[in-house]
Amino acid sequence: MPPGSPRRRSTSTASTNFELPHVGTGRPVHRLGIIATVATFGGLLFGYDTGVVNGALEPLSEDFGLTALSEGLVVASLMVGAAFGAVFGGRVADAWGRRKTILLLAGVFIIGTLGCVLAPGAEFLIGARFVLGLAVGGASATVPVYLGEIAPSEKRGSYVTRNELMIVGGQLAAFVINAVIFNFFGHVDSIWRWMLLVALVPAIALLVGMIFQPESPRWLISQGRTEEALAVLKQVRSPERAEAEIDEVTHLAAEDAKEATGGLSDLGTRWVLRLVIIGAGLGFFQQLTGINSVMYYGTQLLTSAGLDSGVAIIGNIANGVFSLAGISLGMYLLNKLPRRVMFLTGYALIAVFHTLIALTAVIVPPGPAQAWTVLAFLVLFVFSMQGTVGPLTWLMLSEIFPMKIRSFAMGICVFVLWIMNAIVAQFFPPLIEALGMTATFGMFAGLAVIAFVFLALMLPETKDKDLAEFEREFKAEYGRR
Amino acid sequence: MSVAVAVTDSPEGRLALQSAVAEAQNLGTGLLLINLTLHDFTEDEIPSGLEVTVINRSGRGDRDPVTAVIDELSDHAEVDRLVLGVRARSRVGKMILGSVAQRLILRSPVPVLTVRQDGR
Repeated sequence: MPPGSPRRRSTSTASTNFELPHVGTGRPVHRLGIIATVATFGGLLFGYDTGVVNGALEPLSEDFGLTALSEGLVVASLMVGAAFGAVFGGRVADAWGRRKTILLLAGVFIIGTLGCVLAPGAEFLIGARFVLGLAVGGASATVPVYLGEIAPSEKRGSYVTRNELMIVGGQLAAFVINAVIFNFFGHVDSIWRWMLLVALVPAIALLVGMIFQPESPRWLISQGRTEEALAVLKQVRSPERAEAEIDEVTHLAAEDAKEATGGLSDLGTRWVLRLVIIGAGLGFFQQLTGINSVMYYGTQLLTSAGLDSGVAIIGNIANGVFSLAGISLGMYLLNKLPRRVMFLTGYALIAVFHTLIALTAVIVPPGPAQAWTVLAFLVLFVFSMQGTVGPLTWLMLSEIFPMKIRSFAMGICVFVLWIMNAIVAQFFPPLIEALGMTATFGMFAGLAVIAFVFLALMLPETKDKDLAEFEREFKAEYGRR
Repeated sequence: MSVAVAVTDSPEGRLALQSAVAEAQNLGTGLLLINLTLHDFTEDEIPSGLEVTVINRSGRGDRDPVTAVIDELSDHAEVDRLVLGVRARSRVGKMILGSVAQRLILRSPVPVLTVRQDGR
């Protein structure tokens, strides 16, 4: 699910005017750099653990004698875990603090990884992947919040972006490492266990590194621990800035508390319900683009189109490269294009490339020629998806909801998104087996068209509007009069 | 003596507010305005011409609007009447989201005055 980070608007924009002295230079900036490096290991793990099946699955499947359906289950169990991890991770981080939660998640990453590596059979592996998924989902909810809260307001966006790049970078790293391991040690029994074991390195780095990182000052203030918050700020800001920032952080902590106000009964308000339906639709359709069928099953797709395993696993690296390139472009475009234009262009391109993939499977005879043509259209699909719909979905989710229901509404949307991720992961292999590439990608193309229509009809424009203005307009149009 | 009103983000919420203002003015009392919408009331949304205390809903403790209102009523012993806007609800709607008005009527420690729009 690439860029998996609910970006809170209150985190990314300084909502009130606090005149603050410069962040400082030297030590505090250096310290902040270390914190960001350590915390984004969480993003890297997210990427690696979701991407590693792409390449590990074939030897794994042979070892355990998996069917298409049970292959799907091995992959999807992580996403189901992540759905729950994402919803409950935020709650734990509010109660225990960001730092302790990330330490806990690092522990779960380690246990989950060891469980997968040592799994005696498919059932155990499915359970261990669920546990690993809890950590992946938890990291997706906690790491960006921690980064956003500890970074100075003028740099919040770039710190959160860095985590998103690490997620996609983690997937690419998994593809490359799998290709290297498979091509050099492919003859070794159960080679997939070694592929999965690599994730232990960043997990340990996250655990050990986080022990030495401070708690989020904003969380400390939300707990009334102002002295400790000031002590943390003094480590990561110039002394003058640290003193000056306490007021801003106190204000932001109070705003955060309001985000948990709204709940189920507020969905009785028509315009709020409409926004939640739009948000859930964004998560639903983002996953039905099939982006993750490429990220999880890219190698298998290329093999079934006619490449040798060793070559397919190398060719799959292109998917990771174009994913990273796409995300980088997307991050840039976010601030340039109106949201609706970017979304609709994205879904249109996705529909086109899926159609081309479906046609390739009919027109080009199976063999290397078909496989390379499929790969060309796959990377174009990945690039257009990650350059538009991928990052934009998360941004949009962070800006459409009224502040007082954001926590609840985002929870619903992120849960829907992960569950759809799991459903695509579960059913992609059996669909390919039963219907073939043409029908499966034809279906993805059709879903992209439906997404296009849904968004064209429902999606409001939010770019360059502040939240209050957007809310007023939306309420005037869709509220009950 | 004082009148309380629960204002939801809906036509019946706005009607309840109007009726409560009239009620408080008739009785010559103040008004406790419990704002159940998702935005904090601005100055121009607060009725003038009488003494109004505004309570905005805020934080996880106020997630359930019924709890939010009952808590305020127990903090404000001077309130002796709650004004509430009601409307007809479909069975399905009530099953899924429940009825805030019904629960408030059943749990309110003070008498409840319900108002509804004509023809609804």
